[in-house]
Amino acid sequence: MSETDFDVVVVGAGPAGSCAALSLAKAGHSVLLVERGPFAGSKNMYGGVVYPRILDALIPNWWEEAPIQRWVTRRQTMVMTPTQSLTIDYRSDTWAKPPYNGATAYRPDFDFWLAGKAEAAGAQLICSTTVTGLLRDGHGRTIGVRTDRPDGDITARLVIACDGVNSFLAKEAGLYRRDVDANSFTLGVKETIALPTDVINERFGVRGREGADIEIIGCTGDVNGGGFIYTNLDTIGVGVVLKLSKLGAQRQRPEEIIANLKAHPSVAPLVEGGEVKEYSAHLIPEAGYDMIPTLAGDGLLIAGDAAGLCLAAGIWLEGVNFALASGMYAGDAAADALRSDDTSAAGLAGYRQRLERTFVLKDHAKLRHIPHLVLGDRLQQEYPQMVANIVERMFRVDNPRPKPGIRRILTQERRHAGIRWRDLAKDTWTAMRGFG
Amino acid sequence: MAATASSSGGHERLRTGARAVRAVIVTCQKWVALGAADADSAGHNAADQRFGGTSAADQAALEWALRLGAARSEAVTVIALGPDEASKALRDAAAAGADRLLRVDSSTSIDSVDVAAAITSALQSLGAADVSFIVCGDYSLDRGSGSVPAFLAAMLGMAMALGAVGIDLADGTDVEVLRRLDGGRRERLRLHDSGVISVEGSTATLRRASLSGVLASKAKQIEMHTPTRSIDHVARATTMSTYRPRARQLAPPVGGNPLARLHALTSATHRSTHGETVVLDPQMAARRIVEALTVWGYLDGESGPAADAPTR
Repeated sequence: MSETDFDVVVVGAGPAGSCAALSLAKAGHSVLLVERGPFAGSKNMYGGVVYPRILDALIPNWWEEAPIQRWVTRRQTMVMTPTQSLTIDYRSDTWAKPPYNGATAYRPDFDFWLAGKAEAAGAQLICSTTVTGLLRDGHGRTIGVRTDRPDGDITARLVIACDGVNSFLAKEAGLYRRDVDANSFTLGVKETIALPTDVINERFGVRGREGADIEIIGCTGDVNGGGFIYTNLDTIGVGVVLKLSKLGAQRQRPEEIIANLKAHPSVAPLVEGGEVKEYSAHLIPEAGYDMIPTLAGDGLLIAGDAAGLCLAAGIWLEGVNFALASGMYAGDAAADALRSDDTSAAGLAGYRQRLERTFVLKDHAKLRHIPHLVLGDRLQQEYPQMVANIVERMFRVDNPRPKPGIRRILTQERRHAGIRWRDLAKDTWTAMRGFG
Repeated sequence: MAATASSSGGHERLRTGARAVRAVIVTCQKWVALGAADADSAGHNAADQRFGGTSAADQAALEWALRLGAARSEAVTVIALGPDEASKALRDAAAAGADRLLRVDSSTSIDSVDVAAAITSALQSLGAADVSFIVCGDYSLDRGSGSVPAFLAAMLGMAMALGAVGIDLADGTDVEVLRRLDGGRRERLRLHDSGVISVEGSTATLRRASLSGVLASKAKQIEMHTPTRSIDHVARATTMSTYRPRARQLAPPVGGNPLARLHALTSATHRSTHGETVVLDPQMAARRIVEALTVWGYLDGESGPAADAPTR
């Protein structure tokens, strides 16, 4: 074996890539992890909350060493109109103790730490190296990758593409579905705003390493999407996720939409006095199960965002945990295929089977219609106003008038919002099927 | 104008008694941590190698060292002074083609003279009696004083050519260095077979390391050196303050009103008498230029202005 020949090349040292490399290195295989940034995590951003419980299988007691900013103990869902907001606020002491639930972390810290684990297990990591294409034999089988370095070809029995959303390698291998277009993606944009730790604790009602995560619907105006606010130790992340096709059609700038969110009466007191330290943006595969590509080719697996594994299901907004899991299962399946000396698409079928047996594809399959519901016009443009008006009338004391019945309020506000019973029933059924 | 700088006795002394080994090119790299305080806010990565590196000048120095090594068929040794994180700079250098790596275990916040002493001590521990050229960056990532190369030359008794804006390797034996001087002037120095050179970042771009180079660099041995030589015979700064030029006493401006005095003070309306337009053949024109510069005081010369120059 030459020094540029490996059992497996993993492209991209994000959560999926590092978990794949870690899993394979633990199984004793030679693994090269290739990262285009100057260090693992340098080019990555996300919504801010990671649910790393899947790491239990790879890194026991990971919480003792992972570079976590805060453990999320407050989870809020906010429905917003330009002048109103309704918040459901849940807080749990349990989430402040091992094994925890969600956590906030800076990706340049978290991904760097995770890639270090893969290195410690025996994987080789090279950074500042961009993979520019696949190497294939005369039968079209993937036999390695080409990089942008001089003499930069790497041969391997198997390539795992974890090169992120819009994966060029998956595209080159013809694994993406043809019906995936701009409607399947959202653009996530985020400001990281510095505030003193004490101020964050006071404004968000948390202490010590406790953190808050607020998910918002109805805050993005005419562009369908959602918003989020979460706490780090001495910064907060404020951002929006915007449906790409709508953003283009409305000709709006994402930073303007964030500015409007920050100016909302319910949000302004949280961000007041903060200094924007960072602005970042990233494409998100948001169409769920319906955009998941073919996951294996001859000599090739895809995982993480490259495989469209991101769950945008309203109350559940998750991506990193799916990347961690799919990377780990890709590594396990690759190890099996190497052991049986069959890295053809058929030999790698164990990867999809693993995903189907676990939450990765079970959740995506169960919630396959929810992303379309959540990003649909009714839930984005009509329901928030109707819900806010209903709650406002319920809580309004309008003496000398007697209190109206709730059924009457519901009926009047549905009619006022112009929502047909048929559509309401259809959406309720879709939600029940997904969430039920 | 070219001058020849050659090794002085000190370097010869360094050679004395040492067994002749193959000559080596040495380049010194200063790894500097950036943003360490920010990275530490969460209590992680206190010494964070992610946010450090070497300056463009240090990288140019490495490139020139590699070119020199190829031209002279000599091995290239890279020395980095700093904590363990400085090893990354060494491995990057190895990936680009450096042959030998040495880290001097020391804080990077010490005086230039101590840095130079530590590197000198490291060179001696390497048995580097046959060091031919030492190439350094003209500045480090934390914008140091650029004085380490001069101290090195002094301690090793080597010729020096500092602040290079261009290098001509010629045949590799004589190295011509173009230096930047004050007032936009340049100086060309020729180093014969050895010397200390410091280069500006614009002189070269470090080559992109090959994939096999990057992979091999991970297993490359890094030798360690703990500096022992103490420097106690040099002058040291005791106080640091902003440089203020000493005031000069000038005669008061002459003029009948404030505006005239202001003009006199600032020379705002003063027309230079240094200038004339002449029509001459090239040979005479060159002679006339030399004569004029001599008269105006820019050149030392014996001949006065040409009397027969027609003026237009």
